Amino acid sequence: MAIAATIPIAQSEELPHAVGQGLVRKSVEPILKTENLWKLYRAGKVEVPALRGVNFSVQPGESVAVMGPSGCGKSTLLYTIGGLASATRGTVLVDGNDLAAMSDGERTKLRRSKIGFVFQRFNLLPTMTAKGNIAIAQYIHGDGFDPHRFDVVTKLLGLEGRLNHKPSEMSGGEQQRVAIARAIINEPKILLADEPTGNLDTKNSDVVLEMLRQLNKELGQTIVMITHNPEAVTYFDRVVHMRDGVIVDGIPAD
Amino acid sequence: MMGEMIFRNLLHRPIRTIIGILAIGVEVALVVLVVGLTSGILTETAKRVEGIGADIMLQSPSAQIFLAFSGSPMPIKIGDRLRELKYVQSVSPVFLQFSSSGGIDLVYGIDRDSFNAVSGGFVFLSGKDMEGPDDLLVDDLAAQAKHIKVGDTFNLLNHDWHVAGIVEHGKGARLFVPILTLQDLGGAHDKASVFLLKCTRPEHTEDVINEMQPLLPNYKIHALKDYLSLMTSTNVPGLNVFVNAMIALAVCIGLLVIFLTMYTTVVERTRDIGVLKSLGATSPFIVRAILMESVALCFGGIAAGVGLSYAVRAGFVKAFPTLSILITPEWVLRAGIIAMIGAILGASYPAWMASRRDAVEALTFD
Repeated sequence: MAIAATIPIAQSEELPHAVGQGLVRKSVEPILKTENLWKLYRAGKVEVPALRGVNFSVQPGESVAVMGPSGCGKSTLLYTIGGLASATRGTVLVDGNDLAAMSDGERTKLRRSKIGFVFQRFNLLPTMTAKGNIAIAQYIHGDGFDPHRFDVVTKLLGLEGRLNHKPSEMSGGEQQRVAIARAIINEPKILLADEPTGNLDTKNSDVVLEMLRQLNKELGQTIVMITHNPEAVTYFDRVVHMRDGVIVDGIPAD
Repeated sequence: MMGEMIFRNLLHRPIRTIIGILAIGVEVALVVLVVGLTSGILTETAKRVEGIGADIMLQSPSAQIFLAFSGSPMPIKIGDRLRELKYVQSVSPVFLQFSSSGGIDLVYGIDRDSFNAVSGGFVFLSGKDMEGPDDLLVDDLAAQAKHIKVGDTFNLLNHDWHVAGIVEHGKGARLFVPILTLQDLGGAHDKASVFLLKCTRPEHTEDVINEMQPLLPNYKIHALKDYLSLMTSTNVPGLNVFVNAMIALAVCIGLLVIFLTMYTTVVERTRDIGVLKSLGATSPFIVRAILMESVALCFGGIAAGVGLSYAVRAGFVKAFPTLSILITPEWVLRAGIIAMIGAILGASYPAWMASRRDAVEALTFD
C-alpha cells in the first residue's frame, strides 16, 4: 500500500496543535522515567515478580520499541507506565508526575490527559461506530466533541469513508487505524502501543507502523511500542530488550 | 455521547433488552393492576352503595365498612324505632349474604316496598319486580356476566331462584332477593345486616345522625355521602397488607431482572469497561453509564407496563363485566417511581462491580 497516499501527512499542518509536545529530543527531563520499578503479582500465596527493578527513560518526541520473549514483563511495563496498573515498588514519572504516589483516581485523570493507548486486539467498543469510538475519547477527556480536531485526525489516518461503520464491518487494519485515531484525538504526550501489529497481516502492519513513525517524525509524538516483530523495530529510534522482568540493554536501532 | 453509547448498547442485544423491558413492564403492570383492582372494586362498590339513594346507613358495632365482610346482624325491630325519629322519611332493613358459588357475589335480601321507598325504586330493563318468595332481581352487568335472562332459574346459596327482572346497575348489590327468604336461608330470622334511612330532606342527615347516636351507642352510623371516602384499602382488614405484599413482590421481580440483566451486561462488556478506563474514564463515569442504561431500560419498561395495564384491563372488563379496575395517573406515577428505584438498586451492584474492575484484567478478559 502506498503509505503516503494513505496518510496525507502534509495535512498535519492543519492540526490545531502538534500531537504531543514533541520534536524536542534533547530535553533534559525525560517525559517518561522509571526507577527501580517492581511489579509483583500474587498467584495464590505466591508472589510472582513481573518487573524486577526496571530503570527506563524516554525523552519527549522519542520513539522506543520494547522487545522480549513472552512473559518477560513488556506488557506489565507498558500498563504500569500508562497508569493502568500500580507499581509495587519504585518510581514511575510521567511528565514529572510520580504515578507510584498517586491514587487510582489520580492516575486515571493523568492517563486521560497525557497518555493514549493502542492495543493488539484493537479494543474498539463493538456497539459504536468508528466515529463513536473516536468521539467517546473526546467525551471522556471532558472537552466535548471538537469537530475540527476530529476531522483532521480522521483525515490523517484515512478514515473519512469508514466513520459510520462498526468495528465488525471493518478490516483489522482499519480497526487499528481507528484505535490510533482514538488514542491521539486528545493530543496525549505519550502514545503507548501494545503489539499494535500483532493481529495484522504484513501489509496492514506496515501501514500501521508507518503511521506511528510519521506521527513521531512529523508531529513529534512520543511513542513506546511493544513488539515481537523484529522488522517493526526499524521504524523506531531506539530498541529496548527485556528479559525476566528487567531491561537487558538499550541500543540504537540503526 | 453517553446517550448514544447507552442507546447502541441496548440495541446491541435486542432480545435481552426486550426481556428487561417486559420484566419491568410486568412489574409496573402488576402494581398498577393490583392497586387498580382493589381500588376499582372498592370505589365501584361504594358508588353502588351511594347509588341506592339512602342518606344514612346503620350497622352493628362490630360490622365492617366493607359490607361483604359484615356478618353482624341486628334485630329488625330497630327499624321500628328508627321510623319514629324526626326527619326520617323511610327505613329499609337489608340482610346481606355473601355467596361464592359461581363467582363472588353479595346478595341483598330486601323488603321490596321499603327499599323502593328509600331508593326510589329500580329501573327495570326487562321483567318485573319481585312478587314471590323465590324471585330474584339481577342487575344488567351481572346478568351479562352470568348469562341470565328473565324467567331463568338461577341457583344461588343452594336455592333455586326465579329470575323476575333485570334492573339497571348501581343500587347497592347486583343480586336482590326477598329479605324473608334470605333470612330463612341464613338462619337469621328477624335480623338485618344494615338499615338504610331516607331523610325527609338531605340537609337533615346530620340531625338524624345526632338523634340516632344516643339511641344506638357504639353502632356504626354513616352518612352515605361520605361512604366513598371511607371505602379505602386501609379500612378493609388485610387488604392493605395484600396490596403491599403484591407491590413488594413486583418490586422484587423488577429488581432481580434488572440485576441479572445489568450483571450479564457488565460481564459481557468487561473488555469495554477496560477500554473506557484506559481512555481515562473514572469510576463515577462507569457507574453513571451502567445506571443510565438501567434507567433507560426502565423508561421503556414503564411505557410497556402502562400499555400492558390498559390492555389487561380491557381484556378483563370484557371477560368479567362486573369487574372494575381503576387505573389512576397517581398510581401509574407511583408504579413508575417504584420501578425506577428498583432498577437503580438492581443495577447498583453491577455498576459498582464494573467501576472496581481492574483495568488490566478487564482489557485481557475473554
